[in-house]
Amino acid sequence: MAQLATSGTTVTLRVHRFSPKPARERDRARGGSPFARKSSPFGDAASRPVRRPRGRQWTQDYTLDVRGDETILDCLLTVKRTIDPTLMFRYSCGHGMCGSDAAAVNGTPTLLCKAKITDWAQQPPSVDDEGFRRTGDGDAPRMQTGEDGTQPGGLGIIELAPLPGFPVERDLIADIDTMLEQIKRLKPYLIADGTLATTEDGGVDVLPFLQTPEQLAKYEVLTTCITCGACEGACPVYAGGEAFVGPAALINQARFVNDSRDEATYERLEAIDTADGIQACQSVRACSRECPVGIDVGEEIWQLIAQVKEREA
Amino acid sequence: MTPKHIEEQYDAVIVGAGAAGLSAALGFYRSEAMRDMRASGVEPKVLVISKLQPLRSHTGSAEGGIAASLGDMEPDDWRWHYYDTVKGGDWLVDQDAAKLLAEDAPKTVIGLERDGVAFSRTADGLIAQRRFGGHTSEYGDKPVKRAAYSADRIGHQILHTLWQQCVHEGVEFAEEWYVTDLVLDGTLGRCAGVIAFDTHSGATHAVAARNTVIATGGAGRLFHTTSNSYDLTGDGMALALDAGLQLEDIEFVQFHPTGLAHTGILLSEASRAEGGVLRNADGEAFMAAYAPGHADLAARDVVSRAIRSETDAGRGIADPRDPQGPKDCVWLDMTAIAPVRMREALPQVVETIERYAGLDPSKDMVPVKPTAHYTMGGIPTTTDGEVYVWDGERRKTVEGLYAAGECACVSVHGANRLGGNSLLDACLFGTRAGQAVASRVAADPVDAGTPSDPVLDEALDAAKTARDGDIDTLIEQATDIQRGDGDATDDDNAYRVITDLSEAMERGIAVLCDAGSIERAQVVISGPIAERARHLRLHSDARTFNQEITAVWEARHLVRLAEAVLAATDARHESRGSLMRTDFPDRDDEAWLMHSMTAAGAPVLHEPVHIVDIEPGARAY
Repeated sequence: MAQLATSGTTVTLRVHRFSPKPARERDRARGGSPFARKSSPFGDAASRPVRRPRGRQWTQDYTLDVRGDETILDCLLTVKRTIDPTLMFRYSCGHGMCGSDAAAVNGTPTLLCKAKITDWAQQPPSVDDEGFRRTGDGDAPRMQTGEDGTQPGGLGIIELAPLPGFPVERDLIADIDTMLEQIKRLKPYLIADGTLATTEDGGVDVLPFLQTPEQLAKYEVLTTCITCGACEGACPVYAGGEAFVGPAALINQARFVNDSRDEATYERLEAIDTADGIQACQSVRACSRECPVGIDVGEEIWQLIAQVKEREA
Repeated sequence: MTPKHIEEQYDAVIVGAGAAGLSAALGFYRSEAMRDMRASGVEPKVLVISKLQPLRSHTGSAEGGIAASLGDMEPDDWRWHYYDTVKGGDWLVDQDAAKLLAEDAPKTVIGLERDGVAFSRTADGLIAQRRFGGHTSEYGDKPVKRAAYSADRIGHQILHTLWQQCVHEGVEFAEEWYVTDLVLDGTLGRCAGVIAFDTHSGATHAVAARNTVIATGGAGRLFHTTSNSYDLTGDGMALALDAGLQLEDIEFVQFHPTGLAHTGILLSEASRAEGGVLRNADGEAFMAAYAPGHADLAARDVVSRAIRSETDAGRGIADPRDPQGPKDCVWLDMTAIAPVRMREALPQVVETIERYAGLDPSKDMVPVKPTAHYTMGGIPTTTDGEVYVWDGERRKTVEGLYAAGECACVSVHGANRLGGNSLLDACLFGTRAGQAVASRVAADPVDAGTPSDPVLDEALDAAKTARDGDIDTLIEQATDIQRGDGDATDDDNAYRVITDLSEAMERGIAVLCDAGSIERAQVVISGPIAERARHLRLHSDARTFNQEITAVWEARHLVRLAEAVLAATDARHESRGSLMRTDFPDRDDEAWLMHSMTAAGAPVLHEPVHIVDIEPGARAY
């Protein structure tokens, strides 16, 4: 039985909220990153004006009775149903398969439906009158008071913000179209000899490709990517994708490069070998830490870099 | 993605972007008719509208496999698959459709493989296959390996591959658009298109289409405990009812026996195949008494009913996470499975139990409860996906309207679906619908310049005006809590209505029912819940990214659909497949070997089952 199944306690969700100004009032931000290559096949800054959030931003605390073994998504759904139906966040399957609910939990990009309350709730750090956090001596920690002057009790606080690296639309909803565009531009589909696939009359031919379990093992884990964007949110270089195609698109390409059926390996390696392609990766490997399906994104990209180099040799 | 501009008239609009919707798009673009059109310089205008980004579709949660008699691992024959499908559906299956399903399954699966699905493989490099409940060789003789699989994530593989191929074909998507109205002419003879709400901009669009394909998936959210995602609110089925159309066999809802307690998250049947045993509150392994010879591996509906009998007899347990709640669960005891074997064979099951129950299945017993899983019924279609109306004597197709996948009922699943047949149905009949639409477009493409029909244009305009009025009213009447317009905690909202509806449906007809329980559900749903759904208010007056607007429509859709499900359940006086009426416990072929056809507020009509060459027999496993 779960440890906290019967012991009721509370948790406070501190949500970074955002409400955009209606579109007609919102002036379009000009420019973008000075480092963005206007001719980039990935960034295409000219056709996609970069939006900076314009609107009202505030944080809101929701304190809930919990057992502790709930997920953050469970709690947010309770908030929607019982406290505040205007709190917006994407969600769908609720168990880590659809990839729609990546957000920043205490600053770390992860899936809300896989994040358990007890794993993330923390007592706020002690802050002195000047706003500095004490990290050293043994002074008794002082609880930070909430906006309304009350002290958060129970399990503590979980801070929620939209997925970093992407423009926010409303509350925890981020605009991840940049990521999807970047994936789409790199031909994210199997390129193989298609002549066997269809017959004269439009039917599908009866011959599948053969692939051994060993050949499958070379790329299988890469096919489990759910395109949630957690890796992109964690990547310090990505930051909106203007100067870097991003780990998600590279993982997608690695999936085809390592698939024995794909015939476009050379072209794929060529296409990503650009300044804002794989060359922009600094091997920080922050992308590996929170991948919810367990892909070692940093290592896979490292392998891909080696393949790109090999092609040059 | 949002389309850069909306065409005045589309050749085809597909609503939904799961396996069925994406297959329809690919079926369209890869058809011979499409090639001919392009060869003669015609570029059809096609749009796929989806309330989710396509990769979020629930197809991605399918685990086990897709059935096809490839015979990669042992001899198999499509005729055996055909027979199993008919028998599994308790003979409420249109045999012409089931024959197509079984016969074309191998080419469907091979097509998916060539499109890039990373199937698990045999040592020889062939597509690997596993056993699945109800799939046999030699017409019921012994289990056969027929479900092609990809570890335990075949749905994810298929969904992503189909989307990738749609990117290749240049399919245009309108993502996070919610379709609010399906617009027909006054006589239900022709379809004009749909009204869709762009949740990003807050604008409604009248999307005029010569052909519309509904592929919106199932309706698991009718029930509180469900394996379905939060988005499966039966939208397509409700749109059809709202438009005056019928739903076929909508009383048949499959409950998977082992949902993880109140979460409803699926624990694969493999957990029992590997040695898991169901136990009641007294620790007794009860299945042997209900299904001698099959015990814990009896058919899904049989096991679900046995669990329900145990809990009804007071031998159930409470979900440990809701200790004061109802004792409506039983234990799944997996402790006899060797821990090493468990991790190797059931990684997903173990992870789900650890993460969502906080239990260790190698030591702890796991609470399980039947979970609403699949709607066998839906919008009635021909084998080419054409939607029709049954007038009591014949099928009358609605020109330009198609449906495919779980929201549709081509009637291959009958009264109970076999595992592995749902992905197959969605991909195969989705493709056929796309091909049929392409042929129809080729005969008269928008590009050819034939004017649109003023009757349909007017119907569409009227629907858009009405919907804009609905939205304006919702916005005007919003109590904006951000501006201090009161407190939402005391106020009703769409999410509460959906929860209460799902609980009433679960009490009324989940797993078993009788006239009394059906009526009690009807009283609640057509009474207070319908009333609350009509009077729902928003709590923010924002038009953009305001999920509460779509939640209001989802609540109304669920009410509409729940009423139809209850009416159809009430009308069928027998027990067959997934439907168990304790007041009519036996199958009655004499009176009820018929499809039910249920429209909103109309008496249920009956359409004969298409029997080709398999005479109804006993369904014993």
